[in-house]
Amino acid sequence: MKRRTWILSALGATGALVVGWGVTPVRSRLGDGALMLPTEGDVALNGWIKVASDGSIILAMHRSDMGQGIHTALSMLVAEELDVPLARVRLEQAGADSIYGNVAMFVGSLPFHPLDAEEGKKTSTVRVGEWMVGKIARELGINATGGSSSVADAWQPLRQAAATARASLLEAAAAQWKVPASELKVQAGVLSHRSGKTGHYGEFAKGAAGLTPASVVLKDRATWTLIGKPALRPDVPSKTNGSAQFGIDVRQPGMLFASVRQAPMLGGTVQSLDSKAALAMPGVVKLVELPSIAGSTAGFAVVGKTTWHAKQAALAVEVKWAQRAQGALDTEKIKADLATQLKAESGFTFYEKGSVEKAEATANRIIEAKYSAPYLAHATMEPMNCTAQIKDGKVEIWVPTQVPGMARAVAAKVAGVDVESVTLHVTLLGGGFGRRLEVDFVGQAVQVAMQCEGKPVQLIWSREEDTTHDFYRPMHVADMRAAMGADGKVASLRIKSAGDTITPRWMERGLPALAGPIDMPDKTASEGLFDLPYGFANQHMSHVATRMGVPIGFWRSVGHSHNAFFSESFVDELAAQTKQDPVAFRAALLTEAPRYLAVLQLAAEKAKWGSPLPSGHARGIALHESFGSIVAEVAEVSLQDGKPRVHRVVCAIDCGTVVNPNTVAQQMESGVIFALSAALYGKIDIKEGEVQQSNFPTYPVVMLAHAPVVETYIVPSERSPAGVGEPAVPPLAPAVANALFALTGQRQRALPLAA
Amino acid sequence: MELNINGQSVTTEVDPNMPLLWVLRDELNMTGTKFGCGVAACGACTVHINGQAVRSCVMPVSAVAGAKIRTIESLGSPNQQHALQAAWIAEQVPQCGYCQSGMLMAAAALLERKPKPTDADIDEAMTNICRCGTYQRVRAAIHRAAATTAATSGVTA
Repeated sequence: MKRRTWILSALGATGALVVGWGVTPVRSRLGDGALMLPTEGDVALNGWIKVASDGSIILAMHRSDMGQGIHTALSMLVAEELDVPLARVRLEQAGADSIYGNVAMFVGSLPFHPLDAEEGKKTSTVRVGEWMVGKIARELGINATGGSSSVADAWQPLRQAAATARASLLEAAAAQWKVPASELKVQAGVLSHRSGKTGHYGEFAKGAAGLTPASVVLKDRATWTLIGKPALRPDVPSKTNGSAQFGIDVRQPGMLFASVRQAPMLGGTVQSLDSKAALAMPGVVKLVELPSIAGSTAGFAVVGKTTWHAKQAALAVEVKWAQRAQGALDTEKIKADLATQLKAESGFTFYEKGSVEKAEATANRIIEAKYSAPYLAHATMEPMNCTAQIKDGKVEIWVPTQVPGMARAVAAKVAGVDVESVTLHVTLLGGGFGRRLEVDFVGQAVQVAMQCEGKPVQLIWSREEDTTHDFYRPMHVADMRAAMGADGKVASLRIKSAGDTITPRWMERGLPALAGPIDMPDKTASEGLFDLPYGFANQHMSHVATRMGVPIGFWRSVGHSHNAFFSESFVDELAAQTKQDPVAFRAALLTEAPRYLAVLQLAAEKAKWGSPLPSGHARGIALHESFGSIVAEVAEVSLQDGKPRVHRVVCAIDCGTVVNPNTVAQQMESGVIFALSAALYGKIDIKEGEVQQSNFPTYPVVMLAHAPVVETYIVPSERSPAGVGEPAVPPLAPAVANALFALTGQRQRALPLAA
Repeated sequence: MELNINGQSVTTEVDPNMPLLWVLRDELNMTGTKFGCGVAACGACTVHINGQAVRSCVMPVSAVAGAKIRTIESLGSPNQQHALQAAWIAEQVPQCGYCQSGMLMAAAALLERKPKPTDADIDEAMTNICRCGTYQRVRAAIHRAAATTAATSGVTA
């Protein structure tokens, strides 16, 4: 299929939907005040903003905070437009209306080359595609925190909601004071008029309700007092005294605790179990068998009066497990199968420019390399958990989730009730990284609660269950091939990759109504390969989509996380093959991509690229765009006892307009450390269906003593905000691998590097 | 069983083999101390036993009967923050925050032992896992707290 034909067919996900949005008027995302919780003394002005009687602002928070600081950033947008101090914004969990859906995340899933989609330079195909997917996403209204999209998505509607509220409040005050609204001033949430009249927002909230302001103008960036300035996160104090409430901290009267054991073989089942001894143990209530739910492996849960009682009993159950019907999974076999399929199949072409065939036919020399990346677990610090209570036909859920709507839907399905009968509370998330885009553990908790006579049950996985029953980052492999012209320059770049595609599998699990009978090409498989900024005249990037059967999911920065390792390592190889400096080589290929060039140069300059280093140290660089943001990282590396040791990572980022520079720096540090754990140690091996790693001793991560110093430099920008939570991850592995090459002359083409 | 938690005497009927972590969390509803790994590898469950940082997920409760148990809930108070808590806020350490109770308790035990720790001391004492990668801010905050504590107690650095 031609690329364009496919894009258009992908856009019209289903025929019914096409008709649906064809006749529905464009819906405003401001929403009605009735969407917010009715609370005594507070007045809701739209679906986002409620004004309290003391003049403070209550914001409908529709995104989950898993550490990325989104509660702070979104509060800042609202505080800015309303001219209130950040401390005067309180949060209330947003409801289920489609205005809270994530449009930017879906638009971001389109497979457009970023240079064709740059703000102000979008091609017509890009504009049409984004418009259509935007329409669909608005109609679907899927509330998800992922794809580094929260600020990008909220940027217009949230500021618009706050500015509209502000305008209504001003009109109400003007009417009450009988003065023109244009003569009113607002400072720190207090309105004043030169006549001496003053009052805070709370005094005019009732008058403002129902008003439709004549004109709403967003503040000019020159007048911003909050956006772009480092703000202290309001959630930090509660995270220093133990009072922050995560999923596992939910406590309800009479609560029971459940511990899960799933078949150790992925996709396996329970053949038989003997629970007599386990149920006789003190503090044990019952055993509940768990079928496969939303992609989980089947197993059982034991309910007890504490997590410990439940876990001890779960371990005491004697079980015979059975392999999945299709046979046992094995990563060695999968690796071989990937190589076979990569060779045998043509794959789907994600990008084509010029003629690679011609360039290769007339090449002086062909440079080839094979790259690979293993399966990876997420290992959030807070293991999977969910608390559920089912009483009088109503379901109540407390869960750390990135997808509240999907969680609610699976709960309703499992309990056999309408989705309206499910009340869901999103707690703080003890890490997400994409693992909490899954709802398997929600389905399990509901399954258990159904058998607990109205009592609330908190279901918690052990660390071992968490590691051995993840939805893993898929193993991918790639063949890289460059043709060198007679002029000694790179004439063409061909990249062919193979590996499982995540999005269709995730849709099957969580959004079955939208999963089609055949897989659409999935951008996440080729992102980081098809979308390179370099001006190679001839390019061809394709991906062979496989189905190996291992449960796979979105892992922080998704396809970029391994593809950037493939592409930026190979670009480094080309620099070495043509005997050029890695920065100069890249810079020469970025004449048509000035934003990338600026980021590359900023990182090189701040890292003092080319200056002498202590003996035994070397630098490596990598440049990569993901989620709309461009990041370059320079890693300084040495070898200690033969193992790589990263001392310092200098990051430069262009993420468009910055809301909170403090959070940007935090996320650069976070992405670097997360990616370094994966680059050095991360791998999941499966033998006879069983994941071999189980807890931190066998799935090691970077600790403080070996953490590099991370420095962040931001390129000033007035573009719309782009992603921050993930873009620091992709460049890290290639920067470290390139530094190791500079140090040792050895090129490592497989992750992890310290294996 | 009689336990001394945060200066208060607590009587609880529990299995002596039950790890202290679960006594705190599930019997006493003191949820500030977190569960991360269950094998003393990550440090999310760190509390103080007689002033020493201990991983409560593998500590049978019977082994700490009579000992002075201190948890994150008593590290400071709203009116009187511990120097580390103030430093944690100043350095904006936490991201998701899940590991931070354990981090703070490990850091507090370190400062009690070594009021002015070196980087090497911090490397050795702070073996807690943080998946958000807050390590460099943890280090900076410990140094900051050490400096402020030294300043307020009149000790010159």
